[in-house]
Amino acid sequence: MFSRGSGMEGIGEKAHTTFSRGAGSAKGARMSSVGITQVVFLPQIVPTLMLIAFGTLIIWSASLTIPEASFVRHVVGIVLGLMIAVFIWRYDYRTLANLSTALLVFDALLMLMPRIPGLGYFAMGMTGWVRIPIIGFRFQPSEPAKLVTILLMASLGAQYNGRIESLRDYLKLCGILTIPFLLILTQPDLGTGLIVLVAGASIIICAGAPRSWVLVTIGIVVLGATLVVVTSMTPGLPHVLKQYQLNRLIVFVDPSVDPTGDGYNLTQAKIAVGSGGLLGKGIGNATQSGSGFLPEAHTDFVFALMAEEFGFLGSTVLLGLFGWMLFSTISLAQRVDSPFAKLILVGIVTMWSFQLMQNVGMCIGLMPITGIPLPFVSFGSSSMVAQLMSVGMVQSIWRHRPKAA
Amino acid sequence: MSPIIVIATLLAIVLVALVILVLINRGEARFTFDIGGQAPRASGGADNSSEKGFKTRLTGLSIFSGGILAVLFAKLWSMQLVSVDEYTEQAELNRTRTISTVAPRGRILDRNGVELVTNRPSLVVMASSEVVDDEVTVQHLANVLGMPAVAVRRKIQDQTEGAQSLRTVAVDVSRRVVSYIDEHQYLFDGIHVEERAQRHYPMGSTCAHVLGYTGSPTVEQLKAAEEDTSNWSIAYESGDTIGQAGIEYQYESVLQGVRGEQKVYVDADGNVLDYATSIEAQPGSDIVLTIDSKVQKAAEESLASIIKKIRDKGNSSCDSGSAVCIDVTNGEVIAMASYPTFSPNDFVGGISNDDWEMLSSEEAGNPLMNRAIAGQYPSASTIKPISTFAALNYGIANTKSGYDCTGYWTGFGSQYGQYCWNHDGHGYVNLREGIVYSCDTVFYEIGKGFFLSDNKEGLQETYRRWGLGESCGIDLPAESIGRVPDAEWKWSYFTQADEYARTWQGGDTTNLVIGQGDLLVTPLQMASVYAGIATKGTVHRPHLLRSVSSHAGSGSVMDFKSEVIRKVEEPDDSFEFVQDALKGVIYEESEAQASHFTNMKELVAGKTGTAERTNEEPTGWFVAYVPADNPKYVIASCVERGGYGNECAIYVVRDIMGAIYDEPDTSDAVDTSGVR
Repeated sequence: MFSRGSGMEGIGEKAHTTFSRGAGSAKGARMSSVGITQVVFLPQIVPTLMLIAFGTLIIWSASLTIPEASFVRHVVGIVLGLMIAVFIWRYDYRTLANLSTALLVFDALLMLMPRIPGLGYFAMGMTGWVRIPIIGFRFQPSEPAKLVTILLMASLGAQYNGRIESLRDYLKLCGILTIPFLLILTQPDLGTGLIVLVAGASIIICAGAPRSWVLVTIGIVVLGATLVVVTSMTPGLPHVLKQYQLNRLIVFVDPSVDPTGDGYNLTQAKIAVGSGGLLGKGIGNATQSGSGFLPEAHTDFVFALMAEEFGFLGSTVLLGLFGWMLFSTISLAQRVDSPFAKLILVGIVTMWSFQLMQNVGMCIGLMPITGIPLPFVSFGSSSMVAQLMSVGMVQSIWRHRPKAA
Repeated sequence: MSPIIVIATLLAIVLVALVILVLINRGEARFTFDIGGQAPRASGGADNSSEKGFKTRLTGLSIFSGGILAVLFAKLWSMQLVSVDEYTEQAELNRTRTISTVAPRGRILDRNGVELVTNRPSLVVMASSEVVDDEVTVQHLANVLGMPAVAVRRKIQDQTEGAQSLRTVAVDVSRRVVSYIDEHQYLFDGIHVEERAQRHYPMGSTCAHVLGYTGSPTVEQLKAAEEDTSNWSIAYESGDTIGQAGIEYQYESVLQGVRGEQKVYVDADGNVLDYATSIEAQPGSDIVLTIDSKVQKAAEESLASIIKKIRDKGNSSCDSGSAVCIDVTNGEVIAMASYPTFSPNDFVGGISNDDWEMLSSEEAGNPLMNRAIAGQYPSASTIKPISTFAALNYGIANTKSGYDCTGYWTGFGSQYGQYCWNHDGHGYVNLREGIVYSCDTVFYEIGKGFFLSDNKEGLQETYRRWGLGESCGIDLPAESIGRVPDAEWKWSYFTQADEYARTWQGGDTTNLVIGQGDLLVTPLQMASVYAGIATKGTVHRPHLLRSVSSHAGSGSVMDFKSEVIRKVEEPDDSFEFVQDALKGVIYEESEAQASHFTNMKELVAGKTGTAERTNEEPTGWFVAYVPADNPKYVIASCVERGGYGNECAIYVVRDIMGAIYDEPDTSDAVDTSGVR
């Protein structure tokens, strides 16, 4: 199905001269003293580590009042994630460019894992969890699957060198993207599905899909989505969306419709954020999240907790760190030559941006409620590990960039 | 929520996506470079055109990410900096609750500080609101308390004590039940036991009619309290104790404390995390009554024992009566008794339906009715002193007038003959003797005199001047005003009768002048009238409140100021004439009667009365004041269907005097003359 991409090494050789032309002179002069910048992309790793540190502080404060928010588990997640990130960082990402089929299989495997008897873990209404027998370690495979999907789409998109000429290729790309998307929907996890869809679409667009095709595709998707929503709301017609998913859409428009369920959550989250004010209420003084008015204050609504405790100042710092990290990553994407690397970075940036928008947006009433965690901050090892894997990937791209001889 | 909104939302998202796309593609279009036919697969970055394409697309990505950050930042700015006050207020509303705390009701004391009403601790079972959804616990609790489950559920659902407060399920729960609940706490999740102040009447039924009783506010009372916007209005909650009768009702606003408010911080489940500001509950003020519990007790005991004695003698129709003792110098009510009685304790914590039906039933003799102020009877001969004033005033008679009593009076012709109570006749009697021996013939003549005079209603005018037919204004609810019948009243009252029967006749006047027929008075009114005779016309408003003192013990806050409600103008020698005649009643009318009063130091003046009604035992009256030479107390008693006044009521009055002066009646002589 996929032809192995011809010679990534070759690209590297070519690219290396191009790259060193820009940065070579300055870097070469200070090679020995600032050796670390050669292997670590500091503009991305520094804000990320600061974000993680900030998040750790937030989770620690949440752990004071929320028994489920285990500070130790959060730290364990970070350590585990950093270890995997280091491994990925040292691994040459370029070998992945020729592993499209393997990536697809691995992706599908991850998505289907919760469905495999003996592995799937169902408790307290959670779906999409896997529990590894004997060790008892639980995680959400859909989290690493997001990165795998990005790699898959990047490896496919890179083949066209920035310009997709044939409609067949375009449709093939779109078709491949629907596979992980539909598989995630079976879990069911619409939130993660949307992230995958948006990140994948972003890669396809950046891979050089002509504007008209993209517009038509988006039109079809929107029409389909509308149809799904409308049929789900009309009695008698097949209901694709579950009632709770519909409710989330409804309360997004009018929180008073469901004052005890999702509408309540949204209202409480907004109160938490708004009452934070300029400087916040201080660690441990958050009445909304500390006294149980704000549900899921350490996971989905962690931003609201942060905004309540640290106020507008904290929100600005958080958005600032995200901005720093995102734009550093975009600038890296502009600087690397390999389309594969560019597309990976595009996918990762889109994923982070979209998750940021979704998570913060739902806390402040800009987006409907979905169970999407805030990268690097929300409690939950699966998300933390997956996001740190993405960081490792970004760092691997930096480390394995073509260097001056 | 219509699908249109959903579609609109999605279309908005599409629009944003299109803008981004256009931005990406605009750049690309400018830099289009045809690399010709087949695009090299993964050919790397050496190609300038793709490099340019990527660059613009990455700019688009920057706009996408930057746009997200900008939108989030803007919204956060508006929420956390612009609308912060609004959200802070909502957060504060979320976490604070105001719980009202109960204020103890004021005590009621007698004039010597003896506690008539106080508060006692009571065990109360409370349930938190969510228990209502727990069928098993509700049923279990109902079984333990011996209440229907429906009632338990209704009590838990009652929100009037405040949304966060525990709801009262049962009061006065026994120690046994409480210890069962304590031992099986796991079965009673959300059930709490609390000690609370409950109304207590340590002397039982003593003074019951004066004190009244308490209960939960009725729907009407809750509504009235809500509509009352004055400063002193009390915000009742349905679990509150509110006076429903007597002093408890009359001085509700004094007795009722002001609920305190406790502001608490709660979590999302309503659990109290911390206490914030609180306004202390202000206990109600104590009320000191004019009642002397010793005299009161004697009055009640005497009334009960005399009625029992009469019933034991075979007159089973005698079942009720009343007595009232007033200080003539200031209107203070020293004792006020009514029989049959009840125990206000029955009403504490809510009276059962059965008890209520029994207490309000006709067969039980209306025990809740305070007959001293609400019982209305013909005054009978006790009116004769007032009739005398009228006769003297209007010149119908003078102090020297004399009459011949044959026992049967035919002043309006033989067909309208009327008996004196003494059918043998009193012989020749003067006006004074007419009072002393209660000779009806004397007053028939006076009545006839009025009927034939220009002042046909001179009697009624005089009665009214003395305060009959109107309220005495005592500080108790449900006082009756009695009735002074006149021609106009008779005409409009008997609308069904023929013209002759409706017209005021001479017989009506002769009935009225001896206090029979349609005249109705209350014992309190007669006591007030005799107080006026004793003081030569100065009548104080009878009252029960002596002072109000704050519960904190800071001493008297307010003393009741006695008030003269009536100054009856009669010539001084008329007063002296009547006073002398009333002394004569006590000491001259009959030896047996006198023997009950000669055994005490104080001189007494008074008058018996016997209200007749066909086919019924007569109702006996006695009204007296003491000491006759320097009046201090006036005492009135009326025993329904108790026989002649000197067979029943007179003993009650004497016993009250005995209690006041510590001079018990030692005479057991019985007057058999049958004087009315």
